[in-house]
Amino acid sequence: MSLGFARRVLFPSDHKDVARQFFWAGLGFLLVAGCFAMLIRWQLGFPGQPVPAVGKLLFPAGRGEVPPASYMKLFTMHGVLMIFFALSPILNGALPVFLIPLMIGASNLAFPWLTRISFWAFALASVLALASFFVPLGTAASGWTAYPPLSSNVGMPGAGQTLVLVSLLFVGLSSILGGVNTVTTVIRSRAPGMGYFRLPLTVWGFFLAAILNVLFFPVIGVAVLLDILDRTLGTQFFAAAGGDPIAYQHLFWIFGHPEVYILILPVWGIVGDLLAFFSRKPAFFYRGTVMSLIAITGLSALVYGHHMFVAGLSPMLGKAFMTFSLLISLPSELLVLSWLNTLWKGSIRLATPMLFALGVVLVFAIGGLTGIYLGTMSVDLYLHDSLWVVGHFHFTLSAASLLGAFAGLYFWFPKMFGRCLDERLGKLHFWITLPGVILVFGGLLLAGYGGQQRRLYNPFALAYNQPLQTLGMLTSLFAYALFMGQLVFVFNFFWSLWAGAPAADNPWEVGTLEWSTRSPPPAGNFASAPRVERGPHELSDPEVQQKLGRDWIGQAESLPR
Amino acid sequence: MHFGLPHDASLDGFRIDRLIALGAAVQIPIVIILTLWLIASSVLWGRRHPAVSDRGSLRHRAPLVLSLLVLVLLAALDAVSWVQSNRDLDQHFWNFGAAEGDPRTVRLEVNAHQWAWAARYAGPDGRFNTGDDAVTLDDLRVPVDTPILIELTSTDVIHDFYLPNFRLKQDVIPGRVTRVLFTATETGEFEIACSQHCGVNHYKMRGLLRVLSQEDYRRWLQLASANSQASYDPADSAAHWGWDWQREPAGS
Repeated sequence: MSLGFARRVLFPSDHKDVARQFFWAGLGFLLVAGCFAMLIRWQLGFPGQPVPAVGKLLFPAGRGEVPPASYMKLFTMHGVLMIFFALSPILNGALPVFLIPLMIGASNLAFPWLTRISFWAFALASVLALASFFVPLGTAASGWTAYPPLSSNVGMPGAGQTLVLVSLLFVGLSSILGGVNTVTTVIRSRAPGMGYFRLPLTVWGFFLAAILNVLFFPVIGVAVLLDILDRTLGTQFFAAAGGDPIAYQHLFWIFGHPEVYILILPVWGIVGDLLAFFSRKPAFFYRGTVMSLIAITGLSALVYGHHMFVAGLSPMLGKAFMTFSLLISLPSELLVLSWLNTLWKGSIRLATPMLFALGVVLVFAIGGLTGIYLGTMSVDLYLHDSLWVVGHFHFTLSAASLLGAFAGLYFWFPKMFGRCLDERLGKLHFWITLPGVILVFGGLLLAGYGGQQRRLYNPFALAYNQPLQTLGMLTSLFAYALFMGQLVFVFNFFWSLWAGAPAADNPWEVGTLEWSTRSPPPAGNFASAPRVERGPHELSDPEVQQKLGRDWIGQAESLPR
Repeated sequence: MHFGLPHDASLDGFRIDRLIALGAAVQIPIVIILTLWLIASSVLWGRRHPAVSDRGSLRHRAPLVLSLLVLVLLAALDAVSWVQSNRDLDQHFWNFGAAEGDPRTVRLEVNAHQWAWAARYAGPDGRFNTGDDAVTLDDLRVPVDTPILIELTSTDVIHDFYLPNFRLKQDVIPGRVTRVLFTATETGEFEIACSQHCGVNHYKMRGLLRVLSQEDYRRWLQLASANSQASYDPADSAAHWGWDWQREPAGS
């Protein structure tokens, strides 16, 4: 390994290099946490049966079946890794770090050194989280929410729980630093002429998510730190005697609910742009869309109490949270409707990124609508902590976020790596993934409606769950099909990196700034600083068509007189 | 294969079921409209259709009207859910004041711990934590057609008292007392499950709720209380986990 290479890996000066580091880390964890999901589904579909092929290797104590203690670790770390180590580094790390300077016409992020530190903190967190699997008693097992007293050293005596909590502190540090960098860059580094209402919706999504990151990660940092003190120094912040376990839940969900929006806002932005690009039309009611995004961002901080409707909140407080939780459905619906209006009488190209974006519209709508029950306090008495909740947040957080991340990836891969992904494999990937997520997470919704709670090692030890056994098995089979479908993507990805067709500078024929430079862009991004003259999706403008003979015009391109 | 709601054996469970049905009646059509919209746009206005540029304005009327319709439908669902839910909670699920004032109300104390439900009945003296309390484990018995008011706490981690056949969940929290209120409308055996991850045997934390006729209940309680009194040991402090009835638990 040459010294130059080591320097580029450890001290990259270009935001695009750091973005690729976040990206590889995120993809790796996505695969690991996805494998955990497969083991969870095995136990829920075929409880107590030995896991085929890998069972003996992973769980050597018995016949290869998942033991109850390991099951707790699997569902805990599936959540922790997916949220903090897979989706977050892709949607709040790789994509914004790569795209923001390119999309606003800057040569780099505002603080290049902060970008590096942000990744180092994430790398350290990754090492701690992975190390937690190899200490005595293994990794954390108190659920990704880590409610005390279960997550105290009485409930979870192993060092693994502490390591995971400490790793969350570093994830938080990484997110806060990344957020500060993003917010500053968007405010200070926009190219001349790039007003806020000329920003691509993608940048709006990143920007608002970054604001939430900066505001709310410190809160979970406090919760986690106090829990760590309880575990290591014998303080009693969250102990029943002397402290208050419910205080943790408030702190956790003040962060926890905005976190959902931290992961979905970038996707909403991406989808808003892609639907316009591939309908060859400007986004419908751009300002209204931006206002909806801002309204949702604001409201996201005021709904967290619906996670605690049955935790003995005062009914008065609960009702206030119910009001905001139901209200937030309206700007969300406005968002979906403005997407649908963008499609109206367009010239729709069903390229892979567009297919994934359309998929996001559908699964996000399902995810949002299924949340209305959970925001309705009386209905939540029945559905709280059920698989309905799990299905609901998998539609929004996993299906929508993941499809959105794929949409972005298929769209920007040529810019990121200078090669094209294979379209046919991409479409195959989509047509497995969309039905896959609907069937798998739809199965969870149905099981929750039938009364099944989440986090049960063997749900069928309870008689009322037994009629749901066939449903559980089918859901697992669909989950395996969904997982296999992702291998198509993995193959496409690596094959295209190595042997894909070289990418043109602007393969999708759109006008945002990142497509006005080379693929991949050189250090410094632009040969000369762009001067922005128009909004992000000026497509199919009759005047442009007449003068330039094409249906798009660059944001910084002058129209000949 | 079955995936419907569990059997409802409670006086008020239907209030939840009907809000679920109302939600489905609005949400399923919205998802259908949306899916058709996505498919129709992709089919009707494909690559060969020249895009009609509206510069992102509100020029096209048809989609606007359709959007407004969806938005109004959703807002109406929100409003009805909000009003009805508040009313159901105030007048039924959480109407603890009425239950406290009702002379028929049967009171129980439940102490959850890893991984079982201990229940306590006041006995003839009407006071909890005294020598005549009847105490059971994973075996709650209540009379039919009677308001049942339970105060809950936990000695270790957070649990959740879940009665699927009564559409009820309530977290059970160490250091605090929380409450549930329900009325059974039929006799029989129903399951109590834990709905909050509470450790390795969470899934095994199963109790039985036996709904007895009022006559059977009275007879059972008399017998159980007499048995407790006979075997009462004042020195066994661990057995005296009960508390004075709270009426208005702190924090609620």
